[in-house]
Amino acid sequence: MSGLLEIQHLSKSFDTVQVINDFSMEVTEGTICCLVGPNGAGKTTTIDLITGRVKPTSGKILFAGNDITGQDEHVTARAGIGRKFQVPAVLRDMTVRQNLEVAYSRQTNPFTNLFTFHPSGLKQKFDEIATLAGLTHRLEEFAGNLSHGETQWLEIGMVLMQEPRLLLMDEPIAGMTEAEIEKTTSIFKDLRKSATLVVVEHDMGFVREIADVVTVMHMGSLLAQGDIAAIEADARVRDVYLGEEEEAA
Amino acid sequence: MGNIYHDKKLQWLAYAVFFAAIGIVPLFVGDAFLLNQLATYGIYAMLALSISLCWGFGGILNLGQGISFGLGAYGMAMTMQMQTQTDSNPIPPFMLNNSLEHLPWFWEPFSSTAGGLIFAVAVPTFFCAVFGSIMFRARVSGVFFTIMTLAMLSAFYTIILDQQAYTGGANGLTPPASLQIGSFEIDPYSATAYWIVFALLCVATVLAKLLTQSSFGLVTQAIRDDAERVRFLGYNVAGYETAIYTISGMIAAIAGCCWVMLVQYVSPAQLDVSLSLSMVIWAAIGGRNSLLWAMIGAFLIQGGQSYLGDQFLSTWLLLLGGFFIVVVRFLPNGLASLAEAGLGWLSARLPSKSGRAIESVTAEEGA
Ligand SMILES: Nc1ncnc2c1ncn2[C@@H]1O[C@H](COP(=O)(O)OP(=O)(O)O)[C@@H](O)[C@H]1O
Ligand SMILES: [Mg+2]
Repeated sequence: MSGLLEIQHLSKSFDTVQVINDFSMEVTEGTICCLVGPNGAGKTTTIDLITGRVKPTSGKILFAGNDITGQDEHVTARAGIGRKFQVPAVLRDMTVRQNLEVAYSRQTNPFTNLFTFHPSGLKQKFDEIATLAGLTHRLEEFAGNLSHGETQWLEIGMVLMQEPRLLLMDEPIAGMTEAEIEKTTSIFKDLRKSATLVVVEHDMGFVREIADVVTVMHMGSLLAQGDIAAIEADARVRDVYLGEEEEAA
Repeated sequence: MGNIYHDKKLQWLAYAVFFAAIGIVPLFVGDAFLLNQLATYGIYAMLALSISLCWGFGGILNLGQGISFGLGAYGMAMTMQMQTQTDSNPIPPFMLNNSLEHLPWFWEPFSSTAGGLIFAVAVPTFFCAVFGSIMFRARVSGVFFTIMTLAMLSAFYTIILDQQAYTGGANGLTPPASLQIGSFEIDPYSATAYWIVFALLCVATVLAKLLTQSSFGLVTQAIRDDAERVRFLGYNVAGYETAIYTISGMIAAIAGCCWVMLVQYVSPAQLDVSLSLSMVIWAAIGGRNSLLWAMIGAFLIQGGQSYLGDQFLSTWLLLLGGFFIVVVRFLPNGLASLAEAGLGWLSARLPSKSGRAIESVTAEEGA
């Protein structure tokens, strides 16, 4: 199988600061790739570049064989890339129900949507995801009133409503309890059957559980890539990243 | 949660009652002058509706709605003016006074009534589509967009005022006869004129209400909440913003047409900043998140203006200003918040399904 997502020699500088520096990686369809690295390594910026929120200085991004470099956010989303933000981003003034409904974006044309009142397939998908996210008893609550954990779940639910081929999850378990992390682990493993995941995460225990491949970034460049055992044995990774984690622990 | 204010069926019922109430007005009002004045309230309601749609549901504050209203009004005035011109006398008198010898090219389409009516609505609508799409694609939003609408309004105002030979300048246009549709003349002081405005308001409201309940409406509300987030769901935010801004502008253009049908007069005053500000104040006081309450806001403020304003003159402006501050400070969604709270209180006491739902929630919270 070839890569669903291919990043080739990507670079991005903000003014004079080079944030991403000749970074390449490939994500195989149907796998979970964990993107790790110290704070400021450029993980979130990489996701911004893939989704089109920021445009690269140079380099190329291919998704399912198509060049999506520099495309707008809604274009990459329609192509099948879903994103969960590092700081949970939900529509705070809308109810949980509305958040999930609006995320079900099969039809995005404004004129068609003027005449759409009950999108086909919504009900079934809605019930499935609301149950999965454990939010069935909170549907009429405003998203702004949810607890941190519930907000994380709502945003994961929104990404799932999109039914993307590629899910980019920026620190999805931050602030979750042990039980919630366990649930996330099993959901992510389940998702792998129908989608491909790139997960940015600091929690090495979680990474060990879910990762098929681990990609380590450092100062905007690829430091190492491989399975978890190889990464944990890598001296350079221990130096710049894991050592730091152990000290912190 | 169980608040009947949010019950969709009851909302439609409230609209039905509202329109039934204002629909029967001509049956009770014998005074033609008063009926004509009441019909203009329908136009204020249409404008408040258009602001509520764009601002309340789309999150786009437009201080230049006078552009659409004014262009629609000028289009109608041009149509009515041309209806009174004949083959032997093809050029409106004010043009002759400004020594124009030919009818300007942009007056030509208004020589036919159908063409004139279409252009009167199509030109402002097209302007909104183009201006909106340029602005929203460049991701101009929030207060920056509002300032741009204000700047545009001033530009239009100045041009119309300046080009006396083509627009009538400060004098405006005063078509000498009422609107003629085929062989039928619409007397602005008749019940027919009232019902035309009423019917258009009714249709605009029903369509606007349906729009807010459609998938389109859901997306625009999401954009109001967090446009950045909505892009990542696959929606082209600029397209939605342009669409709701244009639909809102089109309603205002139709209101402009009706205005001239009723008062047989248009001047740059229709593009004055104060009128566009008033539209926003009506919606803000009534409740911009509710189409119905925005319209009620227009009735209350304009009604107050006509009746109290005559008696108290300058005190009225102070009253209005004070009222505005109180509402904005304590009722973020205007008088609609009072209705919402009142009906919430009532729902909690109704021995119904919704009442029980509330009890069970309170029980849960207590537990
Ligand atoms: N818009 C921006 N302008 C300037 N610098 C930025 C911008 N966005 C990110 N950066 C910088 O890029 C670096 C990488 O940030 P980020 O991608 O958020 O790292 P990570 O997610 O790996 O912690 C940081 O040094 C950050 O300060
Ligand atoms: Mg980050």
